[in-house]
Order: sequence, then C-alpha cells, then structure tokens
Amino acid sequence: MRAKWLRAACLSVVVAACGNGEAIFNIDVYSFIKGTAQDTIPYFVLSGSLDTSSAPQLIRLLGAGSSVVDSVLIAGTDTVQSQSGSGTIAFKLYLAADSAGTRLPSALALSVPAGTVGSAADTISCPPRPASCLLFSSANPLFAKDSVWARIAVTASNTGATPFAGKIVITSLVLSVFINDKIF
Amino acid sequence: MRTSVIGVWVLALTVGWAARLSCQGLVFDARRIGMGGLTLGRSGNLVRYNAAYRAVPPGEDRRGQPKATIPIPLGVIQFLHDHPNLGSDPEFKPGSPGFNPVLAVNTILNLPLYYEIKKAPTPTNNVVFGIGKDSLRVNLGASAQLVPEDQFGISGSSRPLDPGFGIKGVRVSVMGWLHDDVELQLDDNLLGFLADSQSARHDSTYRVFVHGIVQGGFAPTVAYAGRIVGDGSSGLYVGGALHYYLGVAYFRTDGTGGDSIGNPIFANPVNATAQTITQYSRAGNSFGHGVGGDVGVAWISGPIEVGLGVNDIGATITWPDTRTDTAFYTNATGGYSKPGPNHVQTTTKLPVSYIANLGYTVGNTTLGMDVLNTGRGATVHMGGEQRISIWALRGGVARDERKRVEFGWGGGVRLGPLGLDVGFWTHTNSLSNERAVTMATSVSIY
Repeated sequence: MRAKWLRAACLSVVVAACGNGEAIFNIDVYSFIKGTAQDTIPYFVLSGSLDTSSAPQLIRLLGAGSSVVDSVLIAGTDTVQSQSGSGTIAFKLYLAADSAGTRLPSALALSVPAGTVGSAADTISCPPRPASCLLFSSANPLFAKDSVWARIAVTASNTGATPFAGKIVITSLVLSVFINDKIF
Repeated sequence: MRTSVIGVWVLALTVGWAARLSCQGLVFDARRIGMGGLTLGRSGNLVRYNAAYRAVPPGEDRRGQPKATIPIPLGVIQFLHDHPNLGSDPEFKPGSPGFNPVLAVNTILNLPLYYEIKKAPTPTNNVVFGIGKDSLRVNLGASAQLVPEDQFGISGSSRPLDPGFGIKGVRVSVMGWLHDDVELQLDDNLLGFLADSQSARHDSTYRVFVHGIVQGGFAPTVAYAGRIVGDGSSGLYVGGALHYYLGVAYFRTDGTGGDSIGNPIFANPVNATAQTITQYSRAGNSFGHGVGGDVGVAWISGPIEVGLGVNDIGATITWPDTRTDTAFYTNATGGYSKPGPNHVQTTTKLPVSYIANLGYTVGNTTLGMDVLNTGRGATVHMGGEQRISIWALRGGVARDERKRVEFGWGGGVRLGPLGLDVGFWTHTNSLSNERAVTMATSVSIY
C-alpha cells in the first residue's frame, strides 16, 4: 500500500512538475529483444496467407500507480532479409499483463494494414502519422503497471506464383507512453 | 531504482518545495505585509527575539501601531471556493489519480489565509523518461531547477507559553520551548540523475541524507529588562534572561534512504535501502537539562530606534536517559531495528537566533529595517509607512532565506479606534522567476 502511495505521489509530482506538460516514458522495446530470437519473424507462404508471431516478451516499466495513461505511440523500423517471391505483410501487436494474455484477441493493441514487402527498410506508420502509430486506448491501462508482455504477430500473404518467404528483422522499436494527469 | 528513487526525490522535493514556500516570512498583519514583513515597535518578532523590548514602554512605540490586529482570512474563502468538497477532493486524497502531494503539503505548511491575486506560473515542459533493457534516464527539462542542490528542509524554534510574574523589571517565569528541524540532502548520484539527466549506473546507490530532530520542554527563567540610561522620550534599554532548560522529550534521527541499483539495472523492481541511527528520550524519562540565555539591547533617541537581540546562547541540553537504536531496511531483509545502548547520555543544541532592527519615525512617516536569523539563514525586511490624515500608504522589500527579493505594498484607513488594512505581497515558488501576488487584509484596533 505504501509503495503504491509512493508511486502515486511520484507520478503526481512528476506530472505536477510538468505544469501543463506531460510525463513521457520512452521505452526502448528493441533493447529488450535485440540479439534474441524475438527480434526476427520468419515467414514462408506457399499460397494464400500465413499467421506467425514472435514469442511473448516481458517489458519492464516504471509503474505509474493510479495515474491515467493518456495515449501510447509506437515507432519502429524493420528490414526484410532473404526474401523470395512477392506478397504483403500485416503487423499486429498484442499486449497483456501476462504472457498467456497476449494470445487473446482482446489483447490486440495495434493493427497495421498489409503492405507490400520491399527490400528497403520499412517504417511502421499509420497515416496520417508518417512514422508512428497510436495504440488502441484499451491498451493504455497496461502501461500504468510495472511490466507488460508484448507479442508481435505477422500475417504474410503470397500474391505471386512462387513461394513468398523471408524474415522480418526488427531494427528499432520504441513505445512512447504519455501521462497527462491534471494536477493544478 | 525506478519508482523508489524517484519517490524518494519526490518526497524530498515535496517537503523541500513546500518548505521553501513556508520560509518566506508569512505573517498575519496586513500592515506588516504592506511594509515587506517589517517588524516595528513591540509587534511581531521584536519582543520574541529581543529581551530588552519588554521594557520599552508603549509610548516609545512606533506611531500608528495598533494595540491588536485581527486578520481577515479571505484566502480561506478562496480556498473553499476552489475546493468545495475538501473531504472527497481527489487532489487531497492519497491514492487518487489526481492526488497532489505538493498541494497537500503546501496547504498544511502555508495555511491559505491570504487571497491569491496572481498565481506564479509553473513550467509547461514535458518530463521524459528513457527506459531500455539496461538503461534508465530522466530528463526533467526546466523542472530540473526544482531539484535542490544544497541542503534543504524545515525548522522552527518557538516558545509557546511563558507564564510568570514580574517586579521592577525582573521577571520570573516558566517558559515552554519547542525546537524542530528536518534537513534533507541528495547525494551526488541522485543529484546527477535528476538534475543533470545522467543515466542510472550499475551497482550504484542513489540516496537522500536525512537529519531530523524534535525536542521540547520547559525552562524556569529569570529575566530582566529595563532602561539604564535616558528618560521617557529616549533611552537605552537592556534585557537578559537566564533559562534553565528542562527537556521533557526528544527524538533525533540521522541516516540515509534511497535505492541501490544492481547489474543489470532492472534486475529487481525495487532495491530500496535505508539506515538510520535514532536517539530518543521519551516523556517520563529523566529530564534533559541545560543552561542558556538571551540578551538584548534597544536604544531609542527621538525618531531613531535601534535594537539587537540574541536568543538561546549556549543552550546545550544534556539528556541523561537516552536510548539509541539503529534501523535498517532492504528489500531482501525488510525493515528491522537493532536496539542500541540504553540509558546513555546525549546532548542536543538549540539554534542561536538573533534579530537586529532599525527604525526611524518623523512626523507621519515611519521607516525601518530588520534582520532576523532563526538558525536557517537571515531574512531582511525594509519598509515604511506614510500616514496622511486617516489614510496610510505602505511599501517595503524583503530578502528571504533563499536570498530572493520580494516586495510588499498596501494601505489602510483608520476610523477612530478601528482601522482596516490591506497589504500585497509577492512570493516565488522556485518553479518560475515570475512572482505571485497575495493580498492580506486585517482589522486593527487602536
């Protein structure tokens, strides 16, 4: 209880210190998955489409007590390696308080429409945002806790006559959590 | 680290910021407010801190000085208007998303007696936390100026009661005394992390040094105050008091609290650590005892008045029945206390305080200044009053313990035995260089 109060006090004053500004938590998710299998998502589609995903990854947070998370932005880049064939890839991000929860449809926090895969580096974007996406507000409360589990799912669709294969390698991934409690 | 380090800072900051606000010389008298907090005649701090002023007769007092002043707390009305449901107000409710510890602590330490004319703006910058698998950094932006680099805290030394009797300048009394002092200081690691946006380092500790003491008791006192040279219109007054301090109880703690960072940084959620050495003598134990004294002198010559008073000289209290405990806290072990020596002798000191004042009154004009130090740095007040018929105009300037200059101005009207005064007072809150303005109102009885 005391720790909870401290956290509440902490965040309240941090936000209070901002005046009308915000407390922004920039979480370098990539640093948690770099060099592990979780930063690579292979795909191989003979025809039609295939769903594949990374293993759930635990992300440590500071904890925001009872503060209200206003919004969460995600920004990141990836490259496609060993590509063959042609097709499209759609991204989905699932967030939950535990590992198993990321398998549930209700944990969907972001859905990036399918796009054509090229050899150049790709940037996550959700128009009109050129280089970021806004997570679904249903995911916001998760970022008030001291940790969150994340799973990236990919839907690869073969649009050609030959097998569509390759692997997506994430090269950067940052979550920005905005907290804007009204204090004064 | 994480929340606990920031939490420690937040608590320190909360107290520190509020303390900074509280030491800006707030008084209840709108006349004093209008003169920048200046103490005149036998009002305010002069009698408290200058033993000679007990002998200065009212006739030698500053002109225009009322017999009594009753504050009109317009600020309370404003406060209740802003917080109509205080009991359920989220800003005062711990655990609520809107809970604001700064506001809560500041409201307690600075009772909202004054009407806030203009509030000081607060920075609107964002505070950015950078979190990685093995990295943590915070950028407070302009709010980093809130982080106190030096020791900070709150303290007070008061004499709540002094019943007694006097004959021909000699007074015998039993004076109550109370002293409290809380000091905090961030260590270099925590200061660098918060103020300079340094990344958290492996295997480092981020701490706040804490010192706190509260002690109280009573003191049989023999005092003398009288005029040794001069007549009714001018004279040299001296005063002195000898106190035999009897301490009823005291509590003192010194230690550190903070967070110990491991390797990697997020190896464990929180590694809070704290250790303190606590000394205390409960009420009911043998009294502490010590001897100290006050001296004061005041010289009045026509329009000029000069005074100097020093209090609690040599006031060292010896506590013969003290217990010393050591307390520890770590995440792994939790909190535990290790009893130390009991029935041992320890000593404490009361801070020496002093006041120097200068006043000049000619016709309907009064000018003055004073310097007051109660053990935590000097405050300086300069101000004056010009009376025109039933009206009075006032102005003044003050330098507070943080060496920031504040301004006061105001006026009043006197109708027979009653007067109505209004005073305006600037104050700053560390968040901005822009000053806020408050208004005090009071009724004076002449």
